[in-house]
Amino acid sequence: MMSLTFLFRTAARDVTKVSLCQHVQSLHSSCQLLAVDKALLMKLRKNTGYTFINCKKALEKFDNDTTQAETWLHEQAQKEGWSKANKLEGRKAKEGLIGLFIRDKAAVMVEVNCETDFVARNEKFQQLVKDVAFAALAHHQNKTKSQTGYIKSVLPGEELSKLSANEGASLADQVALTIGRLGENMSVKRAVTVGVPAEWHIGSYVHGGVSSQTEVAMGRYGALIVFQGGKEAERETLGRKLGQHIVGEAPVSLGNMDDLSCGESETRLLPQTFQGDPSRTVAQFLRGQQARVLDFVRFQCGEAASEKTE
Amino acid sequence: MASLVGLRACFSALQLSQPSLLHGSLRLSAVPLSRRTFAAEAKKTYSRDKPHVNIGTIGHVDHGKTTLTAAITKVLADAGGASYKKYEDIDNAPEEKARGITINASHVEYTTANRHYAHTDCPGHADYVKNMITGTAQMDGCILVVAATDGQMPQTREHLLLARQIGVEHVVVFINKADAVEDKEMLELVEIEIRELLTEFGYDGDNTPVVIGSALCALENKDPELGVNAVMKLLEIVDSYVPLPKRELDKPFLLPIEGVYSIPGRGTVVTGTMERGIIKKGDETEFMGHNRSFKSVITGIEMFHKSLARAEAGDNLGALVRGLKREDIRRGMVMCKPGSIMPHQKVQAQVYVLSKEEGGRHKPFVNNFMPVMFSLTWDMTSRITLPEGKEMVMPGEDTSLTLTLRQPMVLEKGQRFTLRDGNRTIGTGLVTDILTYTDDDQCNWG
Repeated sequence: MMSLTFLFRTAARDVTKVSLCQHVQSLHSSCQLLAVDKALLMKLRKNTGYTFINCKKALEKFDNDTTQAETWLHEQAQKEGWSKANKLEGRKAKEGLIGLFIRDKAAVMVEVNCETDFVARNEKFQQLVKDVAFAALAHHQNKTKSQTGYIKSVLPGEELSKLSANEGASLADQVALTIGRLGENMSVKRAVTVGVPAEWHIGSYVHGGVSSQTEVAMGRYGALIVFQGGKEAERETLGRKLGQHIVGEAPVSLGNMDDLSCGESETRLLPQTFQGDPSRTVAQFLRGQQARVLDFVRFQCGEAASEKTE
Repeated sequence: MASLVGLRACFSALQLSQPSLLHGSLRLSAVPLSRRTFAAEAKKTYSRDKPHVNIGTIGHVDHGKTTLTAAITKVLADAGGASYKKYEDIDNAPEEKARGITINASHVEYTTANRHYAHTDCPGHADYVKNMITGTAQMDGCILVVAATDGQMPQTREHLLLARQIGVEHVVVFINKADAVEDKEMLELVEIEIRELLTEFGYDGDNTPVVIGSALCALENKDPELGVNAVMKLLEIVDSYVPLPKRELDKPFLLPIEGVYSIPGRGTVVTGTMERGIIKKGDETEFMGHNRSFKSVITGIEMFHKSLARAEAGDNLGALVRGLKREDIRRGMVMCKPGSIMPHQKVQAQVYVLSKEEGGRHKPFVNNFMPVMFSLTWDMTSRITLPEGKEMVMPGEDTSLTLTLRQPMVLEKGQRFTLRDGNRTIGTGLVTDILTYTDDDQCNWG
């Protein structure tokens, strides 16, 4: 196909060169064809963002039919993504994003990794994070439809990959597609979903945020806090402050309300000095707010990956 | 005087020798006069006969940044201006430590007919920002690599945005992999697209030089038109398009004061290392800092107990000044060309906060945090104001922030500083803008 078009084009050019005056018609038509070709190529590239060479191939294959070309490009991208994904497998991916989303009484937090922080700033990558978050949340809601009460489930990467995203394709397919587009190894690392009963609340904080266009908050650190009580109007700020503290001080366990702090290296949340007000501990702050923390989760981007290598 | 080129050049040249050490190819050593104590007999001496320029490569993954770097060294090695570095040597960027901060960067050096280049390639965004803040290899210009087969890709945008942020003003485009594209029109399209993109990011897209070639051809000695010749052309353009950085000697003089002595029978002497410029006996000067300012005249300059008529950047000297008492001046003030620099109390800065592994704090800091700011020879308590939407800064992150000082001190755009809290360095930064101090900025300094 390619050589045919090429032949035709050279032929047309030659004709116009030789008989410029006699064959005005031919000159006209050949120029137009080239122009259309070029404009279409630009248009297709602008619309899809696929590489120049693939756009050109697609147009040649379908004789400048952009709709067919686009579909073919999408199919091709999926294939290329998989081959690329296989090629890049094993390359270290410890940058990436934490995605966090809360709806009603359920929340999801996911980690998706890539190789460099340049890619983490990319829209396509953020779209992937969003898809993963929604897929995990949908999975959680399907599974826990009939149950009430506190449910927390942790999904490792392998299980997540099997879930299907919005259009039925599996998350693994989505990841491969994004790998094909961005050219870096990526992996869906982990996810945690929580569902709480009506009288409990979920607070959250995401740090190191990128300005994402979606409703899923994204950043390099994320925290989910399950708590009770607190004043109606201040619940959101309360959750946020607690989340910020958890991201900043990185507590490992919850501890008890009456625990005494063992100084700077304290790893239990409640006896830690509260970051927003260093004169009090977290427990004292919570008493003041008449609130009680029941559970929390903290994600730091890349922490799971580096633990493994160590 | 061989150490004429500024201190920064010395510094980056020093950095240069580290990767080559690691690779066992002891090609060059940088021994600025001020650090002559380094044991460097076994190494070749770095000759300083050509002006030094720092450049870097940016571009989408797999578009051939590293291949181009390898090709440049190969082409120049044939001409005697570099040692050939293989792709693998460059790709495994060694981790560098500059001021205690780990930067993933690979450095390659080469010489063209007119200049000596240090070529930097960092793998990540954070690495480029750290590079900018510490000044390890401040980039004077960069080469944007785009593959002709792909055109601009997502990361090309991110990289250009970054180049803009870290203040790279001169970009040269290399359209790589031209051998893989038969159609000349495609090359044109790629060129048009990249020019549009450059304009979009505030560069002069229409006049930016674009070179079309193939780094792979240059490496494999094929198709000289796209290979060797294109690389040579690229280097010629870089030579002419990226201007030489202004040398420290050409700038108005500045001497941060380290000590003040009173010498009976002669008068007051200030000591320190010249940051930049040249001073001569009889020059008018101004002392500034710590809420004081005096005018005076330099009546004598001394170095190693010998008097000299002229001193320049990098010299450690004592200067005798007329009509000032020892109590008038103190460490932390500067001696400068009158009117060339001013004290300021509020600045905008880009700061890198050290991670725990790098010796920083393990805890984040929030708004109104008060570290001590160290710069030149002074230190002063300062207060941090984070940008809107940012509530805290974690160790290992970089951020822009506003610093308000307790007292105005000598500060200017581009000045580097360190932030410390107690006995721990928490971060290092670069002044990006001078802000005006208003009454609202007053606060209780405890």
